[in-house]
Amino acid sequence: MIEVLAKLGRGPVFLAGEVLECVITFTNPLSASSTSASSEMLAWASAQIHCQFHASENRVALPPSDGSKHDVQAENETVFVPNRGERGQCILSTPPKILFCDLRLDPGESKSYSYCETLPVDGPPSFRGQSVKYVYKLTIGCQRVNSPIKLLRVPFRVLVLHGLKDYQFPQDEAVAPSNPFLEEEEGLKKDSRLADLATELLMVATSRRSLHLYNISNTRGKVGTFCIFKTVYKIGEDVIGTFSFSEGDIPCLQFSVSLQTEESIQEEFQRRRGQPVSFTVHARHQESCLHTAQSSFSLPIPLSSTPGFTTNIVSLKWRLHFEFVTSGESAGTCLVRGSQSEAVTWTGVEQMEVDTFSWDLPIKVLPTNPILASYVSQFSSTNSITI
Amino acid sequence: MKKVLDLQASITSLQSMLEDLLVATADGFLHLIHWDGMTNGRKAINLCTVPFSVDLQSSRAGSLLGFEDVYIRDMEYCATLDGFAVVFNDGRVGFITPMSSRLTAEQLHGVWAQDVVDGTCVAVNNKYRLMAFGCANGSVQVYTIDTTTGAMQFSHKLELTPKQYPDIWNKTGPVKLIRWSPDSCVVMVTWECGGLSLWSVFGAQLICTLGGDFAYQSDGAKKDPLKICSMTWGSEGYHLWVIDGNSSSNMKPERNANNEAQQFGILQFQFIKSALTVNPCMSNQEQVLLQGEDRLYLNCGDAAQTQSPRNTSAHSEHNHSREKGPFSGGSLDSQGLSTLLGHRHWHVVQIHSTYLESNWPIRFSAIDKLGQNVAVVGKFGFAHYSLLTKKWKLFGNITQEQTMMVTGGLAWWNDFIVLACYNLNDHQEELRIYLRTSNLDNAFAHITKVQANTLLLSVFRDIVILFRADCSICLYSIERRSEGLNPTASIQILQEVSMSRYIPHPFLVVSVTLTSVRTETGITLKMPQQACEAESIMLNLAGQLIMLQRDRSGPQIRDKDNNPNQRKHLPFCAPVVLAQSVENVWTTCRINKQKRHLLEALWLSCGGAGMKVWLPLFPRDHRKPHSFLSRRIMLPFHINIYPLAVLFEDALVLGAVNDTVLYDCLYTQTSAREHLEVLFPFSIVERTSQIYLHHILRQLLVRNLGEQALLLAHSCATLPYFPHVLELMLHEVLEEEATSREPIPDPLLPTVAKFITEFPLFLQTVVHCARKTEYALWNYLFAAVGNPKDLFEECLMAQDLDTAASYLIILQNMEVPAVSRQHATLLFNTALEQGKWDLCRHMIRFLKAIGSGETETPPATPTTQEPSSSGGFEFFRHRSISLSQSAENLHSKFNLTKTLSMPSGPSVKRWSKDSDCAENMYIDMMLWRHARRLLEEIKLKDLGCFAAQLGFELIGWLCKERARAARVEDFVCALKKLHKDFLWPFPVIPASSINSPFKNGKYKTAVGEQLLKSQSADTFVNMEMDTGISTTPRSRSWLATISSSQREMDTVSSHGPHMQDAFLSPLLSKGDECSIGSATDLTETSSMVDGDWTIVDENFSSLSLTQSELEQLSLELASKGPHKSQVQLRYLLHIFMEAGCLDWCVVIGLILRESSVINQVFSIMQSSDIDGEICQNIKTGLDAVDKWASTDCPGYKPFLSIIKPQIQKLNEIVEEQVQPEAFQPVNPSKVPEQANPRAEESRTSSSHSTNPQSDAGSNNASRHEEDKAKTEDEDSFQEGSYDCVVS
Repeated sequence: MIEVLAKLGRGPVFLAGEVLECVITFTNPLSASSTSASSEMLAWASAQIHCQFHASENRVALPPSDGSKHDVQAENETVFVPNRGERGQCILSTPPKILFCDLRLDPGESKSYSYCETLPVDGPPSFRGQSVKYVYKLTIGCQRVNSPIKLLRVPFRVLVLHGLKDYQFPQDEAVAPSNPFLEEEEGLKKDSRLADLATELLMVATSRRSLHLYNISNTRGKVGTFCIFKTVYKIGEDVIGTFSFSEGDIPCLQFSVSLQTEESIQEEFQRRRGQPVSFTVHARHQESCLHTAQSSFSLPIPLSSTPGFTTNIVSLKWRLHFEFVTSGESAGTCLVRGSQSEAVTWTGVEQMEVDTFSWDLPIKVLPTNPILASYVSQFSSTNSITI
Repeated sequence: MKKVLDLQASITSLQSMLEDLLVATADGFLHLIHWDGMTNGRKAINLCTVPFSVDLQSSRAGSLLGFEDVYIRDMEYCATLDGFAVVFNDGRVGFITPMSSRLTAEQLHGVWAQDVVDGTCVAVNNKYRLMAFGCANGSVQVYTIDTTTGAMQFSHKLELTPKQYPDIWNKTGPVKLIRWSPDSCVVMVTWECGGLSLWSVFGAQLICTLGGDFAYQSDGAKKDPLKICSMTWGSEGYHLWVIDGNSSSNMKPERNANNEAQQFGILQFQFIKSALTVNPCMSNQEQVLLQGEDRLYLNCGDAAQTQSPRNTSAHSEHNHSREKGPFSGGSLDSQGLSTLLGHRHWHVVQIHSTYLESNWPIRFSAIDKLGQNVAVVGKFGFAHYSLLTKKWKLFGNITQEQTMMVTGGLAWWNDFIVLACYNLNDHQEELRIYLRTSNLDNAFAHITKVQANTLLLSVFRDIVILFRADCSICLYSIERRSEGLNPTASIQILQEVSMSRYIPHPFLVVSVTLTSVRTETGITLKMPQQACEAESIMLNLAGQLIMLQRDRSGPQIRDKDNNPNQRKHLPFCAPVVLAQSVENVWTTCRINKQKRHLLEALWLSCGGAGMKVWLPLFPRDHRKPHSFLSRRIMLPFHINIYPLAVLFEDALVLGAVNDTVLYDCLYTQTSAREHLEVLFPFSIVERTSQIYLHHILRQLLVRNLGEQALLLAHSCATLPYFPHVLELMLHEVLEEEATSREPIPDPLLPTVAKFITEFPLFLQTVVHCARKTEYALWNYLFAAVGNPKDLFEECLMAQDLDTAASYLIILQNMEVPAVSRQHATLLFNTALEQGKWDLCRHMIRFLKAIGSGETETPPATPTTQEPSSSGGFEFFRHRSISLSQSAENLHSKFNLTKTLSMPSGPSVKRWSKDSDCAENMYIDMMLWRHARRLLEEIKLKDLGCFAAQLGFELIGWLCKERARAARVEDFVCALKKLHKDFLWPFPVIPASSINSPFKNGKYKTAVGEQLLKSQSADTFVNMEMDTGISTTPRSRSWLATISSSQREMDTVSSHGPHMQDAFLSPLLSKGDECSIGSATDLTETSSMVDGDWTIVDENFSSLSLTQSELEQLSLELASKGPHKSQVQLRYLLHIFMEAGCLDWCVVIGLILRESSVINQVFSIMQSSDIDGEICQNIKTGLDAVDKWASTDCPGYKPFLSIIKPQIQKLNEIVEEQVQPEAFQPVNPSKVPEQANPRAEESRTSSSHSTNPQSDAGSNNASRHEEDKAKTEDEDSFQEGSYDCVVS
């Protein structure tokens, strides 16, 4: 029996283009003193990253894929096919790397291997939508002699920051020291610099505030003003906006704001012409606001949600969806019974005519620092199997 | 229904009191009116007839109010004290209580609060039995009633400190309004002059709008504080509704209102509070969980937390926050990853809207041990949510939800949710357990009937604790049963403890928990496995922490016969009061033998009084635990945050604070938007954490419990912030004692210093502390911790150079410049030796600063230093400069040497501008000395790094040292050293040319007699040479014989015109090396490598031409070092060339095996008049190399023979120069001598080679050169012979 434990040291979330490092430990769990102790052998182990794509049959019509050739290979028990037995197709994979051949583990002994691979910078982000799924996995295959291959899957999450791959490190070349005695610890630094750069780019993109004011009005007239301070956010941030109804002509009885994503299949892949796009609500605020002069809302963008992106098959867009219930008649919406000089009782009307209308405000949602996102990832950073 | 009563005076205060209405009028009467408004139920009490006294005991003879015109300005009825707190119009405050149950004039008594004479208003907290009196001076005095005497007892004071609000002091005006929140946990105070402040029940200040972001606009202008006419808390304390006092006067109506505005503006502030304000179950609160009316805030995913589940009982305050002013914008800055526990990010869970719609607002919430599931309770039913799957689970049957009302809170037990509820269908109190994984339905629930209304619920391990309205505590055991598909949990009653004797009113109980804490730690020490058992009940009764310990004094404590049934009947001892003014209690049932102090302690938060810990004390000597019955000690300490969770193992406290986002600037755009927007910033909640360990250590030291402090500290020494803890402790004690006005009789600093010396971080801690304190305190500090000079030296000894550098700054300030320079020099030299370049650069700066300070010269900012310090990028530019400089240097050096009388070598202007600065000279001296040492020890790599890192001007220096340190004394040694330093492999003879011993042997057997003969001859020669070199001094005669024999061979070789491959492969030297073997370590290893190579090659040795070529190629590659080394060597070569250190050039040329380099050197020697000594040296060196190569490293032979002609030429030069000089016997004849036998050798070997083409192929390129070399060889030979003749 050999225990295989894979650990993503930095957590299970990465930016596309970053280097993923996984420490894979093979342990013979028997203690050296136990009577039945014997050393264990593994013929080989190798590791590979792949991205699995899966689409809903009802919504997505894919051209016939060539993914079937994998199945043919999979018949052969000695071929390492990382996505064997998974649904969907492998749309992206890194070259397999051999960790070792002929590993012998004495009782109680364990050996660790570090697997490093740069994640493809141009892949799709991890995404679980209603029509389409993109799932990234690191698969470690190992085999005992004369046994089938065992696979250990380490799922992880990939965030894509568009534009990052185009961004050169100009200072890189300029700084290159020409005195050969000046030490340069470039190697690992570059990777952390990618994350730093991404963080910086994100900060620049999302910290810019500019006041956006929107007049909300329907056919009857003005309802109020909506004010939002920015339209570009990182996941994990709160979308904050304010309403002012004091200048409106039409009383607003209730409003709701939903933070939604819109997942649409590109036209050429749609199963049916004009099939509806699917919406997902991530957060919602609802308030009764008759007589309210000012109000505000704060909607958290979940850290676990996928930032907006587009691939050739699907596109994900974020928006704020507003719904306003306004009074249909401009007449008073509450009644004051009794004369003003005496005690007064306020009562609401029992029935009133209302209009309901909605409005959408597109916003941009970007990724965040992958380390931050690791804190709430549903993936565990350690995975193990026993073979 | 309307009824008018005429009370004949204006009403000043009105209170409802059970079924009565209590009205105070301005004529000094109290009217008691029955609710139904019947006049016959009315009673008027003249205040003048109520006796008042200091306490109830003396009130029998109590005085009456004693003067006219007194009336009640404000009053509030307190049900749990059964009386009402009153504020009189003259500012006095008191408490009026009926002597019997009925409120009649004869039986009323009053007590005074003696210290208050300026009362303005009052508010009563029923749960904690507190009366808060607002005063005209702006403070709030909080009183309770002494239950024994009946006197008013001062509890605490709510007061803005001038420290925090310097300019607000006395500007608040009198207290205007005080409002306790519905859950009695916080109080809101506002003043006449405006402003809002929020305090915890025992006086920890949580928020105040008079300071910071609230008081000032972003441009620094002062804001008008919000003036409040009236305010009230909303349901569950999630909102504060405020009528804005400003609005009626100076604002247009309908402009400034948030909600429901007509004539006056009404503001609604939103709050979130810690979940444990209302649900203080200790079992499952491991994280900070804040609940708002529609969402939860969790401190998500701290790795440390999920790994070791924590158990904290945070019952706490409203964390005010999120003011919902009409502002907007901002967002949590999620980027700042805090060093300690993750980040400031909250995990926000929005409560399912379907549940919220019918059950708003949220009343209780609970999170499970692993922080993965939360459950919330609204008006009816409950719902739960998984943070992993992000899915809510609601009752499938809405009727079940709506007939269930949770009354006593809820708690997680593993996968189960335990809750106490009222069944509206059956009118029955129940205890229910639902499984998380099954559908939310009563069919899957385990339901137990409970006798009375449950007020509190908690889970300790497998025990459920209920506190019921009949003042009894019920313990149930809970057990998992996995029969059938769905596991269920069943509950059994264990024990019922009636507390009615101790608890006057069930409403007063804040929390009930079961803990493993005992007063004596002896038992847990003896039997640590018992530590987790339920040993005591902790009851927070209106702030009074009461402990009921299990009575183990009886005979039943014998552990062996202690089966579960017996144990549950173990009675509890009489209650003991542990502490007063307790807001929250934290304990854990986890065990960690390493951190017993922290885990077995009881942590309390006491509002304004800070925190307390009830720390167990353990005997240090574990061998005799029985002899020492340890105790516990209560230590108070202050932290700066309001604690919401205690992380036991991490010695951390977590909290949450209000953070504000300013948007003032934005309103300029929106022009005349409401002024309210400017009154408040937008508030968000931010996470905080704090270390407290230093407080506890210090408290222990104060109490002479140094041993305990050490035990505790050692158990935490692995925490990442432990160094910080020590530093904080030292710093705080230092600040306090050094700045104290009066002399301290028993100073703690020496104790603290001694304590810190117990840890390896001592030196570091002291210096960090010193550098963060003012200079004025240093003397005091170092008087306690020791002389900084000694500490500096200790650092040096411990090789902790960075810390030593920190001490230097202290020395610089405390000592005369000479001393700090002396120490700086010490450190500088050590740093140079260890190659700590950053430190070296700092030290250079430092030394210069000392110098400039001393000699009043301007700070050294030489322009030439900059390019050099930026390293090689400027190399070429710099080089041209240095060339001219070096010339200059040569001229100036003698002057300088003379004037400054530097003994140890020549000095040169390095930074031309400030060459006259003595400090620079001094630094230069040290740099030179170091460079010289490196060079003398042949540490070229180190020298390169040194020069590059420190911007040391290498060329100029080398120029000066050309004839001294920069001379290569021993070429062979230098060569070997370079090989080693630059990881450069020794050259290898190509495989086909019989490199390895293995091949050698093969050849020997395979080839014919002739070869063997020549081999043996050669062996003989080489052997002799070897012995000659190593043992005897060379005698001329001996050499002469050799040379003569060589000459013979040479002539032989010169006869074969087709034998071009002269340099190839001294067959015999190979054999030699084999036999000599361990001549030097280096060659041995390299020959091993060779062996490997050839063995591998052997497999392919059917020896097709291309293959052998490939082999050679690969061999050549293998004999080259790493690319980086090559670049570095070339760089050094340039430097040496530039500086004219030709002998070094030769050495590097050799190691790189580039004949062009050697050529260049020789041509320089010829062209310019170089010191004859140098030429001579080079020649001697090359000879030595040649000899060494012949014996130890034949791989060099081919190259040496390539450059042979040049060497020959060199001989000529030396000749010319030597002739006039003294007798130069040795070398000239040697070079040809060596080249020639090889020539013959290779000739023979190639002629017998199985694969002659390979030789030819490999040597084609060099053939031409060889031809030339040979002719020159002959020339030089003749010269040599001539030389011999001369001598």
